Amino acid sequence: MKTKITATKLNFFYGATKAIKNISLDVEENSVLALIGPSGCGKSTFLRCINRMNELIPGTRVEGDITLDGESVYAQTSDVTELRRKVGMVFQKSNPFPKSIFENIAYGLRINGIRDRYTIEQTVEKSLKNTALWDEVKDRLHQSALSLSGGQQQRLCIARTIAVQPEVILMDEPASALDPISTQKIEELIQDLKKNYTIIIVTHNMQQAARVSDHTAFFYMGDLIEMNRTDIIFTNPEKKITENYITGKFG
Amino acid sequence: MTTHLQMELEHIKSRLFEMTDRAIESITKSVDALKTSDPRAAAVVIENDTFIDELEKSIDEECVKILVTRQPAAVDLRFVLSMLKINTDLERIGDLATTIAKQAIILDGRSPVKPLIDIPRMSEIAISMIKDSLSAITEGDSKKAKAVIARDSEIDELNVQIFRELLSIMAESPTKISDAFALIMAARSLERIGDHATNIAERAVYFIEGIDIRHTL
Repeated sequence: MKTKITATKLNFFYGATKAIKNISLDVEENSVLALIGPSGCGKSTFLRCINRMNELIPGTRVEGDITLDGESVYAQTSDVTELRRKVGMVFQKSNPFPKSIFENIAYGLRINGIRDRYTIEQTVEKSLKNTALWDEVKDRLHQSALSLSGGQQQRLCIARTIAVQPEVILMDEPASALDPISTQKIEELIQDLKKNYTIIIVTHNMQQAARVSDHTAFFYMGDLIEMNRTDIIFTNPEKKITENYITGKFG
Repeated sequence: MTTHLQMELEHIKSRLFEMTDRAIESITKSVDALKTSDPRAAAVVIENDTFIDELEKSIDEECVKILVTRQPAAVDLRFVLSMLKINTDLERIGDLATTIAKQAIILDGRSPVKPLIDIPRMSEIAISMIKDSLSAITEGDSKKAKAVIARDSEIDELNVQIFRELLSIMAESPTKISDAFALIMAARSLERIGDHATNIAERAVYFIEGIDIRHTL
């Protein structure tokens, strides 16, 4: 398996507070990595370090490095816009643009310089098919995206993310606001998408981590406590603290 | 803090220990029935097997309920999986004890064709293996569980020895074939009980250490 992402001695500070402490880990290409841990453990912060989203917050600072295909994402020469095209992101709350379903996907393509109408139509259709949304929306592509249900909106956001052909998709609790059926669809989608993308998902739902991921990393108070194959983490974790967390005996 | 899950797991453990006591009681009573060639004592063992069968179903149900409702992980998951499998082993042990009891019915009051020394010895070893495996679970002592596994060869050797002795008795006195065969069946059942005790010890190691040592020692 090829390593897609490598974090090396990564530290992250919100002002004087160290939110991530010396984290080193590798993420395999075309795999799903789940980040678990209690609130405030640094898992979302780590996720946002990968596409430099944390830089948008004033007073923050990074030490160490993250590489994508061996190239530093923090290098002076790194193009952050290009990085965020390669490393797409899906958030907890679906955030479609107040535009039509079609335009939500087409927008990303246009700002990436694609003008050809046929190519755009083809990509919109393909993205919607890949997120299992096509059959549900094909007859109303020009209606507002806000008319969709919460689960559909979230899948639309994933469709929008994959339309610009990223290599990595970061998901920050993508199903936490959805009902079980929509959650199941998102989880199925994650399994399908890993054939073409590398996925890192932050989740508070341990069963979700167990269901969708190949590897699981347990974060606690900014430290990476343990990372291993998901089946091992959930049957025989190495560290007692990991076991206490996943068996609900925490604190 | 004791969670509801912990209480439910403790409950399963206590039911499993109850089943263990009953299975051990069946072994002891079936061998006693054989020693005394007492069909009535044997009938009691056969009757009691129904309780063990019922316990098996009820423990299975409780385990499935925990898997569905609590979705346990790590040590809790290993505990439930071990309980499910040990449950099956104990039920089989109960069945094998009834097989021994049935041999006492076959003897029907006739003294065994040879003094019963090795068969009770086999049952003692098997019982100690079962007890030690279960206490290994309570104490979280995988060394103890692994030590149990080595003892199975003692039972196997005794079984081979008994078989040889009985074979020569059958060859010398064809009229004793039926009664000698009853003892061969009893020894074979105890040998199988030893195998199930080994399984229980292996499940104990899996629960404690999270490693599967089956077919490795």
